[in-house]
Amino acid sequence: MPGLKIDHEKCTECRMCYVACREIDINAVVVSATSRHLLEIDDRCVYPKCTVCLMYCPAEGSIVDAVSGKSLVPPPPEVWTEHLRWPRVPAPR
Amino acid sequence: MTLPVENNGLAAELLRQSEHDGAVTAMDAVLSAAHKSGLTNDQCFRLLARLWTLKRLMYYVYGAWAQGLNLNDYPPAVAYLFGKQIYDESTHEMQYSDEILRRGWARTQKKIFAHPYGQFAPATRVGAYIFCLRALANYPQHLRLAAFNLGPKVIELAWTERFAGSCPDPATRAVFASQLAETRSHILMGRFHVERFLQKDVDVELARRLCAETRRDYLFYLEEVARFVLGMKEEEAGDGTAFADID
Repeated sequence: MPGLKIDHEKCTECRMCYVACREIDINAVVVSATSRHLLEIDDRCVYPKCTVCLMYCPAEGSIVDAVSGKSLVPPPPEVWTEHLRWPRVPAPR
Repeated sequence: MTLPVENNGLAAELLRQSEHDGAVTAMDAVLSAAHKSGLTNDQCFRLLARLWTLKRLMYYVYGAWAQGLNLNDYPPAVAYLFGKQIYDESTHEMQYSDEILRRGWARTQKKIFAHPYGQFAPATRVGAYIFCLRALANYPQHLRLAAFNLGPKVIELAWTERFAGSCPDPATRAVFASQLAETRSHILMGRFHVERFLQKDVDVELARRLCAETRRDYLFYLEEVARFVLGMKEEEAGDGTAFADID
């Protein structure tokens, strides 16, 4: 079972999480094969080792911890760390 | 599902012709093979990768079409729906690549682009079809939507409905089934454009001609896909079996 899930009441389907997850080749965010094509997170998700989607999600509360239901957008301080932040190396100025 | 189009007029004429062409396509040979002995993993990968190649190239087509749109050419709701349908094609592209990655046929999206099954080559039927659509950028939006949405999209709906109804592989079947409403939306958008914006005689004749051309090139593309999936040799000059009464 994936560690994260999408709250479809709050998700705007902007697909930023999909793009970010694809970019790092984890590919855990997928388009569901239903007529509404909602985004889902599958069991390739390695949260809490990866929190990239949380760093890019613009819609407050739309990605939650699958077990506790706690909102992870915006990312709480425990996941917004040097180790988990992404990109790991800040862009040059 | 029968689409609500009046029995007379250009929209019905184009729809009827495309439904006729879509009644049996080369993709039915793939479906038959799937029923007979099931598709191998490699065949399924070939199928999804070739469909993905076409869908991702639609960005190139729609980009060119959108550049030809001027402010207030069409009511905002019509322009919005065009945007939504670009988004839908993108969704379908994502579904195909999701399925390829999920089944482990490629490890990353970049690898699908590099894989021979997912590569785009200009001197192919998919190339001919895409350049045919790209060339529609020379015409007003209502003409290209008449040609595309009442041509290839009708044929696409016909064969995807059959795959959605009876493809033996449940995951592939679900992907096709989930796309049906959006493909129908394209067709109804084509009907709307014809009925609302296509009035001049010259436009009617152009729509007929452009629709026949796009239908023909889409049928050739489907034939190329089917041959590739089934491991048949590529067609040679004069082998083509798609018909289009252009003149």
